[in-house]
Amino acid sequence: MRDILLVARNHVVTAVREKITLFWFLIFPVFLLVVLSLIFGQIGQEGEISFQIALANADQASNAPFSAIIEAAFDEVAELPASGREPLFQLRKPGKGSDVNAFIEAQLTAVRRGRLAALIVLPHGLGEAIQRNLMTRSSTQASLDAPGVEIHFSEGNAASDMSVSIIDQILSGIDREILAQGGAYDRDAAIPQYKAWVGTMSEEAPYVDFLLPGIVIMGFFMNGLFGIPGAILFSRDQLVLRRYWVTPLTVPRFLAGISVGHLVLCVVQFALVYSVGRFALGASVSFANVETALVLLLAAATFMAFGFLIAAVSKTANSGMAIANILNMPMMFLSGLFFPIAGLPFVIRLIVFVNPVSYLADRLRASLDVSVAAYPALVAVLVPAGWVLLSAAIAAWRLRWDVGR
Amino acid sequence: MRAFAALLKSETVIFLRDKAAFFFTFLFPLIFILIFGFVMGDVDEPTARLGFVRASAVAEPALRDILEDSGVDSVRDYDSERAMRDAVLGREIDFGVVWDGNALEFHYSPSRMQENFAFEQMANGITDAFNLEAQNVEPVLPILYVHAGTEASTRWFNQMVPGIIAFSILASGLFAVSGHLTAMKERRTLDRLIVTPMPPVALLAATAVVRLVIVYLSTLITLGISVLVFQLSFSVDWTAYTFLVICSTVGMMGLGTVIALLVRKPSSAGNVANVLAMIMMFLSGIYFPIEFMPRFLRAISLALPLRHLAEAMRFATGVDDMATLRFWIIVGCFLALGLALFPVLARYVVRPQRN
Repeated sequence: MRDILLVARNHVVTAVREKITLFWFLIFPVFLLVVLSLIFGQIGQEGEISFQIALANADQASNAPFSAIIEAAFDEVAELPASGREPLFQLRKPGKGSDVNAFIEAQLTAVRRGRLAALIVLPHGLGEAIQRNLMTRSSTQASLDAPGVEIHFSEGNAASDMSVSIIDQILSGIDREILAQGGAYDRDAAIPQYKAWVGTMSEEAPYVDFLLPGIVIMGFFMNGLFGIPGAILFSRDQLVLRRYWVTPLTVPRFLAGISVGHLVLCVVQFALVYSVGRFALGASVSFANVETALVLLLAAATFMAFGFLIAAVSKTANSGMAIANILNMPMMFLSGLFFPIAGLPFVIRLIVFVNPVSYLADRLRASLDVSVAAYPALVAVLVPAGWVLLSAAIAAWRLRWDVGR
Repeated sequence: MRAFAALLKSETVIFLRDKAAFFFTFLFPLIFILIFGFVMGDVDEPTARLGFVRASAVAEPALRDILEDSGVDSVRDYDSERAMRDAVLGREIDFGVVWDGNALEFHYSPSRMQENFAFEQMANGITDAFNLEAQNVEPVLPILYVHAGTEASTRWFNQMVPGIIAFSILASGLFAVSGHLTAMKERRTLDRLIVTPMPPVALLAATAVVRLVIVYLSTLITLGISVLVFQLSFSVDWTAYTFLVICSTVGMMGLGTVIALLVRKPSSAGNVANVLAMIMMFLSGIYFPIEFMPRFLRAISLALPLRHLAEAMRFATGVDDMATLRFWIIVGCFLALGLALFPVLARYVVRPQRN
């Protein structure tokens, strides 16, 4: 037992002494957790994201007040919310007495160059057009010859697209207000819209709760994919293993030691990632249940076995790292850890179906009640377990324990 | 000249044998393009399959038309709310709606938090249109949407491809010095070369030329695959593109020099370069727009060379516009950085190692 613990301690100490190992196993998962939570956890929330837009009102001389109402509505949205936060829109407008057309030209260039999310132009005659529409109660009849609110944006630019979607909602609200004020639309008679969730969950989990299990799985995955082959192959290439084999240490006991060390690293990694998620980012998800613990154990075992598989098929440490790098991205990104993977072509979907990361992430999230399981529980256990058996069999057959033997 | 040709040959062979360098230069961008192309290629045109349950005896013919015109991909009818909810759960449909004669109730899966934002936008549009129809009114505020960007940039993936190309330039330039040269130093290969009549500049020039040719080829392959597989269109200004690839590769080699000088242990330089490249990749607006980031991350991204390289690459490939002067300033800065640090590289990195 003592030799197993010594090998385990050696595995942990080597990992901790290597700064680069520390970065990939501890710092990188935390970095990713923080960055993705800050970006995707706050999309659409006022005060957390901010778009630069411009508004040019070329209809100021109009007798109808509608353009002024639209301008005032956007002024309100662009006002600073609580201190220390940003408004949803940072609004640029032409200065008093300046040339509106020159302003529009300059802002159009800014939209084209990606420095401005969108430009709203209220053209001359817009107020009268709205008034006419209100009288006839339709914009479609007048739209051919009447000016409309122009929204200039850069299609395909995600920031521009999202700002247009928000502008659209604001304009829609103004439209209903004008209709209501004109007596054409009864707000009280409007058909209500409700929202319901399917499955056992009563509401959508916060993004950080959804992300945290994914990052934990990713950490275990990288730990197994790079840590295990690294420990075996570099020791083999540098003839460290040869020295082990002249001691009473046997291969199974060496493997047991590496496995214990690997599990210790997984526990340390989990503790750090969980603490940051829970205490710094406000995750509320609780990992304290038996099913979750079993899934985490299965994940650690699966990725450890994967590490042995890579070590078994690699001739040198460098080729082992290259194989791990090649497998790393497709397995991580084609698993639904970070992005939805619906609608993929059949060939790519095959990778998703044989990828153990997909099942482990799905099962872990389901066990934590942050999402509804996409795969049956039995399948979610059998596929990773199958990989463990397959990897162990190949490793037992192919893994060389010394250089040149 | 013969010595230089021999160096060119040996540098090419070394690169082709170096699996890690080959992977990061050729395969890494290709794998990214293929994965993101399939996973996120349709992100600009969110399509959804909607389930519909008419739980009211009151016929509402307009609602079916509104649902079909709402931008959803398909509308499937269900006899009961339960069947529809099961279909949402089993991902046969993306979300569902129940009309009971008084209200519209939309049903979503909590598992699809990354997509629900788009589904809810569609639901809002459906309710809005249904309300106007029910009260027999139409919007009075005409809205015109005008695409002001360049022809090529009509998909988010178009913006991503030049970013991935920029990253491969960064990685290749950085690793040329902080990976390849420092590895040569560690293995004492440099020591052997330095005692020959070959000037250090010849070795650096050979390394730079080989990397430039390989990076240029790699960017062309990445661009070509994205056009062939995903039917993306680019309007490439080849002069600007060529200058950008050459100058930015030289500039990134300069950055690699800084890393090689700052990190004491030669083998650690490659690791530091890898870490820096990865951090820059996430904060430079390559995978998600900078506008989505919190203010402090936006400020950090301004200081990252990869952000400016990616923006310049979008300009050179016709995906985004940029002031021509700014583009050439970026190109000039990269070139100046590389040229300024080349003598430093020759003087302090390419030198015999003391025991």
